[in-house]
Amino acid sequence: MFTKPSLLTAAMVVASGLMSEAIAETPRRGGTLVAIVQPEPVTITAGTNVAAPTQFVSGNIFDGLVTYGIDLQPKPALAESWDVAPDGKTITFRLRKGVTWHDGKPFTSADVKWTLENIWKTIHPRNKAVFLEVSQVDTPDEHTVVLRLNRPSLPILSTINASGAQILPKHLYEGTDFLTSPWNNKPIGTGPFVFKEWSKGNHIILERNPNYWDKERPYLDRIIFKVIPDAAARSAALEKGDAHYAAFSPVPLKDAERLAALPNLKIETRGYEWLSPLLYFDLNVDNAYLKDVRVRRAIAHAIDRNAIAKRVWYGFGKPAVSPIPSTVKQFHTADVPKYEFDPKRAEALLDEAGFKRGANGVRFTISHDFLPYGDDYRRTGEYLKQALKRVGIEVNIRAQDGAAFIKRIYADRDFDISSSWNGAFPDPQIGITRMYWSGWVGKATPWTNGSGYRNPEIDKLIEQTAVSSDPAQRVKLFHQFQKTAQTDLPTIPLIELRFFSVHSSNLRDLTVYGDQIYASLKNAWFAEPPK
Amino acid sequence: MVAVVVGIAIINFFLLQLAPGDAAQVLAGEAGSATPEYMAALRKQFGLDQPLYVQFGRYIGNVLTFDLGFSFRHGMKVSDLILGRLPATLLLMSASIGLAAILGVAAGFIAARNAGRLTDTIISSVALLFYATPVFWIGLMLIVVFSVWLDLLPVGGMTAIEAGYTGFALAADIARHMVLPSVTLGLFYLAVYARLTRAAMLEVMTQDYVRTAVAKGVRPYRVALHHVLRNALLPIVTMLGLQIGSVLGGAVLVETIFSWPGLGRLAFEALFQRDLNLLLGILICSSVVVVVVNLLVDIIYTLLDPRIETI
Amino acid sequence: MTLADETRISATAAAPHQSKVRRRSFLGLLLRRPNAAAGFVLLGATAIIAALAGVIYPTDPLDMVGQPFLWPGHDPEFPLGTDMLGRDIAAGIFHGARVSLLIGSVATLVAVVIGVGIGTLTGYYSGWVDRWLMRVTELFQTIPPFLFALAVVAVLQPSIKTIVAAIGITSWPSLARLVRAEVLRLRNSEMVHAAVGIGATDARIILLHILPNAIAPVIVSASIMVATAILTESSLAFLGLGDPNVVSWGTMVGAGREVLRTDWYVATIPGIAIIFVVLGLNLLGDGLNDALDPKQNRR
Repeated sequence: MFTKPSLLTAAMVVASGLMSEAIAETPRRGGTLVAIVQPEPVTITAGTNVAAPTQFVSGNIFDGLVTYGIDLQPKPALAESWDVAPDGKTITFRLRKGVTWHDGKPFTSADVKWTLENIWKTIHPRNKAVFLEVSQVDTPDEHTVVLRLNRPSLPILSTINASGAQILPKHLYEGTDFLTSPWNNKPIGTGPFVFKEWSKGNHIILERNPNYWDKERPYLDRIIFKVIPDAAARSAALEKGDAHYAAFSPVPLKDAERLAALPNLKIETRGYEWLSPLLYFDLNVDNAYLKDVRVRRAIAHAIDRNAIAKRVWYGFGKPAVSPIPSTVKQFHTADVPKYEFDPKRAEALLDEAGFKRGANGVRFTISHDFLPYGDDYRRTGEYLKQALKRVGIEVNIRAQDGAAFIKRIYADRDFDISSSWNGAFPDPQIGITRMYWSGWVGKATPWTNGSGYRNPEIDKLIEQTAVSSDPAQRVKLFHQFQKTAQTDLPTIPLIELRFFSVHSSNLRDLTVYGDQIYASLKNAWFAEPPK
Repeated sequence: MVAVVVGIAIINFFLLQLAPGDAAQVLAGEAGSATPEYMAALRKQFGLDQPLYVQFGRYIGNVLTFDLGFSFRHGMKVSDLILGRLPATLLLMSASIGLAAILGVAAGFIAARNAGRLTDTIISSVALLFYATPVFWIGLMLIVVFSVWLDLLPVGGMTAIEAGYTGFALAADIARHMVLPSVTLGLFYLAVYARLTRAAMLEVMTQDYVRTAVAKGVRPYRVALHHVLRNALLPIVTMLGLQIGSVLGGAVLVETIFSWPGLGRLAFEALFQRDLNLLLGILICSSVVVVVVNLLVDIIYTLLDPRIETI
Repeated sequence: MTLADETRISATAAAPHQSKVRRRSFLGLLLRRPNAAAGFVLLGATAIIAALAGVIYPTDPLDMVGQPFLWPGHDPEFPLGTDMLGRDIAAGIFHGARVSLLIGSVATLVAVVIGVGIGTLTGYYSGWVDRWLMRVTELFQTIPPFLFALAVVAVLQPSIKTIVAAIGITSWPSLARLVRAEVLRLRNSEMVHAAVGIGATDARIILLHILPNAIAPVIVSASIMVATAILTESSLAFLGLGDPNVVSWGTMVGAGREVLRTDWYVATIPGIAIIFVVLGLNLLGDGLNDALDPKQNRR
């Protein structure tokens, strides 16, 4: 019958509890993970599409040559080892043996060669520049790839994961038009999960790859990516346990606090190290007022980056001082001209520039177009409006959708101040330098040099770092780059964004990599079977 | 009919031309990175590099040959996309309209029978409240109360795919998922029908033939049902017709909040993605439904009351 | 979808009414009905709030004046609390009243002008004028109105002007049909036949005889259209298409949407304001309908 447990039985219960805890640390097989992907991806092959939702899903279907640890050091994936020649002009990858595509065909160096020549060097948005210097790809045998370069291109080593340089199956794509290939929406990869089904507007289903080269993994049986457009609904789904995992700040920032306090959920800020996102304002340097550097510096002084991080972004950000975020430890420097929050200094600079306050207290009026990706950017714009109002600049906020925004900022350049964010990645050559390189001006290409900045000095620095083979020299050049960028200030770095993920506490080993949000979930497992 | 379709096609084409930015810019923007070559390739694929009149000509040609075209963004034929979402839309529409019409007419009936008394006041006030509360608010509140606090109903989506239901269990699961969205969408119209029924019945009750029936000794309930309600149904039928026509637009909000995979949300997204073909496809389907429904309403009108000549 | 249609339908179900409305006791008649009286009170309160906005809260409601997320009642300086950026919610309610009423009325004015115009023309003239204008009306009616308004605002980029235009040009069709029905009925009345007999011009007939008698249902519809316009604006704001430079109740609800679970007052307070105004307008519309319908007055 039910008697009060004696001390001994109590001790035994505790002990067995501890033991089951210890046992639980060994990954359990099984379970279906329900993740939320938002917005619905356009395609789930990251061949040319580097959008977050695409890569979030795609990283489970495909492998890259490497993945990046939390410390951003490359770890072997499809490439078991690699080396770079001392002059930087040859990079050799030795591929893993015994890897097959999901349709059974073997993965070989021919696939890497084909993808590099036909995708990365031609239509991939980022890789065209990164692999520009590759003049030839040799495949001496089925498991070796040798890249021969005209000039060194060290950034290559920072972007060869499943997201940065996804390897596609040559036998399915060769001879076809990549953009219209039906395989883009029912992909065949080498990754831990196999594509099963995509019900548009509803869900994407992936199943465990029984022939995965990393034996024992993955631990999950299935992943179901659900499309949930409304932020409050995502919050409710995670709270109830209907969904176990969501990334890229899936719930309103204020809700994150509340969810973190719940016992069944965890908030995770790791996994974004590879991305290193930076939020910034682009100032159109051709604008009558903004072309004066004193006005730009005044605006920087008028903004309190701390307030933006704490109030607008609820602490999910850290004030930035340079266009290369502090998370890119190798290249970041804080030894740059600083613009502390100082409205008086801002007013002095504006007076100096000749823009005195008018009768109604207004010096001049400019417009602000915020990134139409969510309320957080709108609120940043609202903050900007009030902050500049204080120093006599009237700001007219303009709202529009994505297509209109791209056209206005990058094609027509019909704007004054815009907001946006870029990923800095472990190498600024990949995401940051394009904000400042004058070669992009007039090319109407999104996410490049919105400000219209043209400085031959910066251009030279960028071109040098692209082809230098000396890591130490590149660091020096990037330090100079940051100093110049912060002196001329065509772009005001605001905060280093902290994106977060929400996941069920029941899920273990979810975040293992520095590029986790784009990498696979092969290490994740459920401590207890999900409901 | 054809004129309406062509008219819609023209409005759609020029609306999307007026909208700044094209589909290539949307994709390049979402991709997070782009090159001029990539954008040129996209434009060529979408046919956006042709001069305007060529695009327009091709577009109208497609419309007239019933070819709804291809959605480059989704990589699927528009007709496939629409057919894929059609069942979800039909389910939501019929559930919400059915709920609204049946409960609304019933409530209005009761209110009219008890005109002036407490029951009437309560029903009318509640109806007014449902009418005045914004749809998205009701939706969010329902989720918080029934889904999170009480954990009775799912948060959103059409079915719990992870459970792998089939057959009867699947139907039951979809029904569970349908409750909150159809209630949210239907509450507004429920109020409309209630008030309309009440007003129309009160109107009809003063007619001579009703007084005759009462004088003849017909039981009040029979009078209410057979004489009053039947004639009061005219405006309700018209309202029904109007509701079916406009439910697609109103569903946008509900489908967004409840992640219901319907055509309203697809149209909304197509607009932002500058997906000309897809948006047009949905608008054409919607207009066909409206025209057909209007015809049906006119027919039912004459059936209900032969005295009425449809304008 | 709108109650405008509801009233049109009720109106056509009624027997033909007299040509003149007893104006002397109209207001008295109106206020004697509890519906209209309640509506009047609610609307009056809103109008007073809108008028006093500049007096009680002279500074810009967008100013970030306090600690964020102050709950209502915790700080006497901010009786209704502050939102996520420290803006005063009470100031937002007062100034938002102006914006919401403005958007509602102007949008409805646009719709009324177009609707009455087209309705009169199609009702009075038959032949190709009627046929083509009816086609246009049908065309506008088959496109779901909310989606259409959304598309117009998205294309023209959200601002008060574009929102007003969008709501105005998407809500006139049902009014046009209503007016058309009335004009059709009146065109065949003895009064108009008499006027034609004595050689009055079309314009005179329309302006002096037809419109004044057709106006009653239009007024009722208009009051309800203002309510619908306010609801539509708040729905647009909810979807992120509000004017970012002004505070309207719709944009306040939209902003509060993200913090609904923790600080629900941010969205609820303006939401309740919207409900009150919409209620008031509907009650007023009900009352107007009852007062203007002589059959009801006989009872």
